[in-house]
Amino acid sequence: MSAVTFTVNGRIVTLDADGADTLLTVLRDRLGLTGTKEGCAEGECGACTVLVDGVPVDSCLLNVHAVAGSDVLTIEGLATSDGRLSPIQQAFVDNFSVQCGFCTPGFLMTLTALIADTPTPDEVTIRSALSGNLCRCTGYSTIVDAVMAATGQTERS
Amino acid sequence: MTVSVGRSVVRQDADPKVRGQAVFGVDFELSGSLHAVLVRSPIASGRIRSVETSSAAAVPGVRLVATAADAPRILSGLALADQPLFAGDVVRYEGEPIAAVVADTVTIARAAAARVVVDIEPLPVVASLSAAVAPGAPLVHADWSTYRPSPGLPDWPRHDNVVGEMRFDSGGVDDVFSTADVVIEDVYTADRQYQAYLEPKSATAVYEAGRYTIHAAHQYHFNVRDRTAAALGILPSRVRVIGHHMGGGFGAKLDVGLEPYAALLARLAGAPVKMVNDRVEDLLSCNSRENAIIRVRSGVTRNGRILAREFLVDMDAGAYAGDTVFLTSIALFVAEGPYSVDRTRVVARALYTNTAPTGAFRGVSGTYLYFALERHTDNLANALGMDRRDFRIRNAIDAGHTMLNGQVLEDSDLLRAAFDAIDEVAPWETLGRGPNRGVGIAATVWLTNPMPGAVTLRLEPDGSLGVVTGAAEIGTGAVALGVRQVAAEELGIDPDLVVLTMPDTDAHAYDGGAQGSRTTHIVGRAVQHAAAGLRERIFGQAAKLLDSGADELEITDGRVRMVSDPQRTVTLGQVAGAAMFDGGPIISSGSYATPAPKHDPDAATGLLFATFPTPTYHVHVAEVEVDPVTGRVTVLRYLVAQEVGRAINPAGVMGQIQGGVTQGLGYALWETLQIGDDGRYRQRSLEAYKLPIALDVPRVEAILLEHPADAGPYGAKGVAEPPIVPVAAAIANAVADATGGSIVRLPITPDDVLNALESSKE
Amino acid sequence: MEFTSAASVEEATALLVEYGTAAQILAGGTDVMLQQARGEISAGVLIHIGRIPGLVGITGNGSVRIGPLTTHRSLARSRLVLMTAPALAEAAATVGGWQTQAVGTIGGNVCNASPAADTAAPLLVAGASFELTGPRGTRTVVGDSFFIGRRQTARATDEILTAIVLPHHPERTGDAYLKVGRRSAMEVAVVGLAARLTLDVDGTVEGARIAACSVAPTPMRIAEAEEILQGSRMESEAIAAAGEALTRAVSPIDDARATAAYRTRVLPGLLARALGVAAARAERGVG
Repeated sequence: MSAVTFTVNGRIVTLDADGADTLLTVLRDRLGLTGTKEGCAEGECGACTVLVDGVPVDSCLLNVHAVAGSDVLTIEGLATSDGRLSPIQQAFVDNFSVQCGFCTPGFLMTLTALIADTPTPDEVTIRSALSGNLCRCTGYSTIVDAVMAATGQTERS
Repeated sequence: MTVSVGRSVVRQDADPKVRGQAVFGVDFELSGSLHAVLVRSPIASGRIRSVETSSAAAVPGVRLVATAADAPRILSGLALADQPLFAGDVVRYEGEPIAAVVADTVTIARAAAARVVVDIEPLPVVASLSAAVAPGAPLVHADWSTYRPSPGLPDWPRHDNVVGEMRFDSGGVDDVFSTADVVIEDVYTADRQYQAYLEPKSATAVYEAGRYTIHAAHQYHFNVRDRTAAALGILPSRVRVIGHHMGGGFGAKLDVGLEPYAALLARLAGAPVKMVNDRVEDLLSCNSRENAIIRVRSGVTRNGRILAREFLVDMDAGAYAGDTVFLTSIALFVAEGPYSVDRTRVVARALYTNTAPTGAFRGVSGTYLYFALERHTDNLANALGMDRRDFRIRNAIDAGHTMLNGQVLEDSDLLRAAFDAIDEVAPWETLGRGPNRGVGIAATVWLTNPMPGAVTLRLEPDGSLGVVTGAAEIGTGAVALGVRQVAAEELGIDPDLVVLTMPDTDAHAYDGGAQGSRTTHIVGRAVQHAAAGLRERIFGQAAKLLDSGADELEITDGRVRMVSDPQRTVTLGQVAGAAMFDGGPIISSGSYATPAPKHDPDAATGLLFATFPTPTYHVHVAEVEVDPVTGRVTVLRYLVAQEVGRAINPAGVMGQIQGGVTQGLGYALWETLQIGDDGRYRQRSLEAYKLPIALDVPRVEAILLEHPADAGPYGAKGVAEPPIVPVAAAIANAVADATGGSIVRLPITPDDVLNALESSKE
Repeated sequence: MEFTSAASVEEATALLVEYGTAAQILAGGTDVMLQQARGEISAGVLIHIGRIPGLVGITGNGSVRIGPLTTHRSLARSRLVLMTAPALAEAAATVGGWQTQAVGTIGGNVCNASPAADTAAPLLVAGASFELTGPRGTRTVVGDSFFIGRRQTARATDEILTAIVLPHHPERTGDAYLKVGRRSAMEVAVVGLAARLTLDVDGTVEGARIAACSVAPTPMRIAEAEEILQGSRMESEAIAAAGEALTRAVSPIDDARATAAYRTRVLPGLLARALGVAAARAERGVG
């Protein structure tokens, strides 16, 4: 066990963690941030995606000590402090992009990074950016719709 | 005009889900919870010599280690009582639970579980369908003859490794085969498909005052109650099941999973116990869609009339009967498909093997049965030199078609409308042109599950409408959209005023679970029944407030008003408030179950699932391109015409079609659990088990055909299950067309594609 | 499990010496954390090198020097790599999804030395050399000698990879990487094939390099195929003969992803495709 300090959703946290602990375990089991999901623990499904210094990563494969000093953003930190949904969150609600919702936090984190990186992505860019996120319910089309809507490329349905 | 039905209103549960606030089964935790993991068999078949638990029990933080000796010596099962909680004497599949470790943390439990020493003497492995019925095959269950059906079920023909056999014979089939112009026989195989819901199975249980409370993320809470009670040898009323948000199920979470273990361990430990599968054990132990072999033979005339058909199916039940034994019945309803056939013989068997028990997956056996039927239909058309679509339309069933069980399909001519609808969008002769391209078509009839459901409606003084039901929201929107919108429509209120409950078997009447597209249809009908009573009370109360007769009133826009004087009005909230101390809260309950369609129960033997209620009609068309170097298949276009009765929420229905087709594409092209000679799966992670990703899937072009019928609420029939059923058939037909060769197994591998290309060159 | 973060190459190698076989280097961690969780490796201490300055980035002036901590995503988007060795960018762009590419490093990919390592084949055809630094100083291993066995490299346990260098390549050189998998992305290569061609002005092949992954215990150069192409003018007979040589040189296995027969079967067609792309790039002077 050794100490590690980083920022989660704007809050500085310091805790002791085992050398093998993943960021995902710490978020869920130590910090109570259960919005980030474990779908496979093997970097295949993307349900555990969070942003570390703005970059989408699978928190299940990230050693928590490797984020020392970094800025971690999870699904709980996406809405504004007064509770307003971010544009991509709102677009997921409006475009039927959520079914069971278990993969949703991971998708939203990847797409938050995508929109920051590419403000008006085309459909292939969106689908390509989502290669590391599995959804078993929607068949992805409505998720693409949400990105198009959130980036002002379509009328909101 | 409707206020709600037919509109694409958004779902209320999307908000907590996009915020990460929705509490799923894996997120739920009672304070003071202990954590348990199962010790599972590493081999597929063997005799347990010993289970040494003392070194695991000695690990600091371990509360207890349980084995078969700690569980009731009871066999139970969904259809057949053939399964113990823990293997005690023999193990019958890789992943079968042998022991459980309960500890303070998951990490400790896992570390201790690795120290449970299980000594198993390997026994011969029945690893395939052919091995199960080979002469002298080892018996997966030596005591099969002592097993009894689960309560309420009559026994059925079974013997040795044949755990179920459904048989139908109209007579005269062989005569036709000896005289028909053309007789064609095909053999098809299909691999297993893992439901691969994103949330692994979990359960949390606590034992208090002689009762078990189970927190579940499940499709069918009342089945969890009943099956847990059966496994523990107690009355169902001693089990309470409370539902939470669930991360998908697709059929795999209809039967019990970890729930009985969590319940038993909570009692033994005297504390709440939480269990969560890791992904690998979830995949290895899951009740996946069964692998199967299908033999189809048809005799046809030169001008394309189908005189006779033989349809022989072997399905792999795995090590225990599960629900696969029920699925043999589906073969009776697919053997002819949506086509007219004069004479038919159907034999469908479920076989025991030393593999993980199989079970329900969206579309169940229909997916591969239709794959076989529609590949064979292509072969018939091609052999006769007829266009494949024309051949289908020529033989398509008409209104009033009688199925093999004697059931009459009153509206089966709806199928023809589905063929036409696609052709308007994408004319058949324009598709699949060009080198390495092909087009496939498949038509299906599918059912809406008839299981009972119920609801209590509560009108609240704040104007909201409580919809109190045990129906489970699996993610489809069947409750969040379907039931909610029907309820809003019935009261003429904004759907946002509807408050939905989470399932609780203590608080709610029985519900048949999120299966077979039943929820909107069945519970929607129950809502309508309840709403009739609710309106009666509302009008009675409002009549007093408005000083009018109850029959002079109407409800509109959240208010009750006089028809003759619309200015005289009270809000629904005021009515509910007034009622509170004048007769009490305004509530009303309703129930519904689809009445069994008229049929001949003796049409077939071993028919555990005798009817095909509330049928819907479907045509799918796929256009593909194959890569002649790698054999990869790209789906260029995918079209669906789906008869839905009435779309309560069109966007929600489209979402079910896109999602169902995507699962079908995975089944057709990528997903497989192959079984090695040792009975173990070869694909053992989500890296090896290939789920479709966003780049793999086209945007499905879907046409909803609405023919509102009396059966459902506002005419709605089941919509969520059928979109997966024709997909493998349509894709396989398209790949066969693109390659000019033969496609006989699922999934279609790149090797199969290259072989098909090569064979067509020869 | 202990975790320790090295601030410099010297500190890292000192830690490697101190902990010996108990040590495991951790960079992005996408392989190591998974292998640790699966019990495939059981290190006592993770030595994190992710914060060592100077090990990240791509610089070039003639030759191209790639820091081992450079992520797949950086590689895939690097103008310098896209101009000089697009095959490497293509390979990096196929390693898992964005989440993996964002933290997984080229150093980790080659040092993990999976038979399926995507970046290995483009590095082999580029003639890359690997700079290893340990307590005895720095040495350079040329490409072909780096991968010495299944999950084995020439790196000694007390060394760390400090750079990968792509030598300056001749004019009219082009390369390509093609990967076969079941899905459109998120695949461990069923087969990966890199080709690099240097063409004369009249189209004669002055230099040909072919390398493949997932067809043998290590990523490998296919010298027999290269020799056939050398001096040819990419006639279809030469390409077919090179394809045959390729299938003879490999020793693939059956696994859950594909059969050995399939892996062999796709190679000739894949080679023809890769050569076509590489030749077009050579003509344009890209890569």
